[in-house]
Amino acid sequence: MEITHRQFHRVDLLSLSGRLDAASAPQLREAIEHLFHTGHYRIVLDMQHLAHISSAGLRVLTDARKRAREWKITDLEGGDIRLASVPPNIGEVFNLTGMSSLFAIYEDATAAVGSF
Amino acid sequence: MTNGSPAPETITLPATLDALAAISQFVATAAEATGLDSRTTWQIQLAVDEAATNIIQYAYPHHTPGDLIMTWATATSAVTITLRDQGCSFDPNNVPPPDLLSPLEERQVGGLGIYLMTRLMNEVRFNFDPQLGNVLTMVKYLQHDEAEQISVLPLHGRLDAQTAPHVNTQAQRLIEAGTRCLIIDLEQVDFISSSGLRILLIIRKELMILGGELRLAALSPRVREVFDLTGFAQVFAIYPSVAAAGPTACDG
Repeated sequence: MEITHRQFHRVDLLSLSGRLDAASAPQLREAIEHLFHTGHYRIVLDMQHLAHISSAGLRVLTDARKRAREWKITDLEGGDIRLASVPPNIGEVFNLTGMSSLFAIYEDATAAVGSF
Repeated sequence: MTNGSPAPETITLPATLDALAAISQFVATAAEATGLDSRTTWQIQLAVDEAATNIIQYAYPHHTPGDLIMTWATATSAVTITLRDQGCSFDPNNVPPPDLLSPLEERQVGGLGIYLMTRLMNEVRFNFDPQLGNVLTMVKYLQHDEAEQISVLPLHGRLDAQTAPHVNTQAQRLIEAGTRCLIIDLEQVDFISSSGLRILLIIRKELMILGGELRLAALSPRVREVFDLTGFAQVFAIYPSVAAAGPTACDG
């Protein structure tokens, strides 16, 4: 898996490509941990070029979302992991596992970055 | 290649995480040769990925990975995939099912991989053979009989905390066998508790995720009152009789 990072004023965008499986999940976990360590809790994951996700990848997403949401500026504003450009097969995995109701999913990275 | 039963294809890899991408490629190649559509292909890829990940992470001691042997066999009506290893015995049936309904913060994500395997494939079987080691067999049906997609499940007596798990097991079996429109016949049920309502909600959600639906039929006045009092009469599709609930009514 390849991860490219773009930093915006308030939001960090990680674009994922390739396979998010048990082999690559630690790589994403590390990239997100790195952002958390530098105080960045508003993160968009762009999945446009993600070909595959397995439960190991889902685990990274749910753990990261939980951590991000613990960071709050006010009751209404704080950290979150939001998803963009989810391909149909990955969307189906989210539906099967009940995760589509947990994550805010946006049409594209621009909309997701703008949502914060 | 779609007709007849060609000899199974086999790949042997060291059971390390690096093998996952190669396994996925093996599935893609075999699926293309079989003429599978892209959706069926990724469903098999994901199920195999989950199965292989379990073997890689749990079968062998970390410093001495053994082999993972995978076969792909195509028949007219199904693709059968086996994964074999000589590692320590592992039974996916012992892993508790994942919790898909509670809030994220309370969730245990364990068991999600096996849940996906059973959802994406039509059959998942585990065997231990003294010679072959652990053998995991997964079958994907290539055509579905539409007539099998509607089922009626009649219940009797009390639907409470004690009987709810059994009802859920029966429903899950029907869903795994391809049922997408499930009619639960409540005519002979004289009592329903909150645990009973909860299990109906879980079954309803499962079916909805799969694009199906749950219908309740022939509620006795006492049971109907519980649905009215709790507001669940608005949530469930309720029919006066099994005949009114389908099977033709399920086509939509």
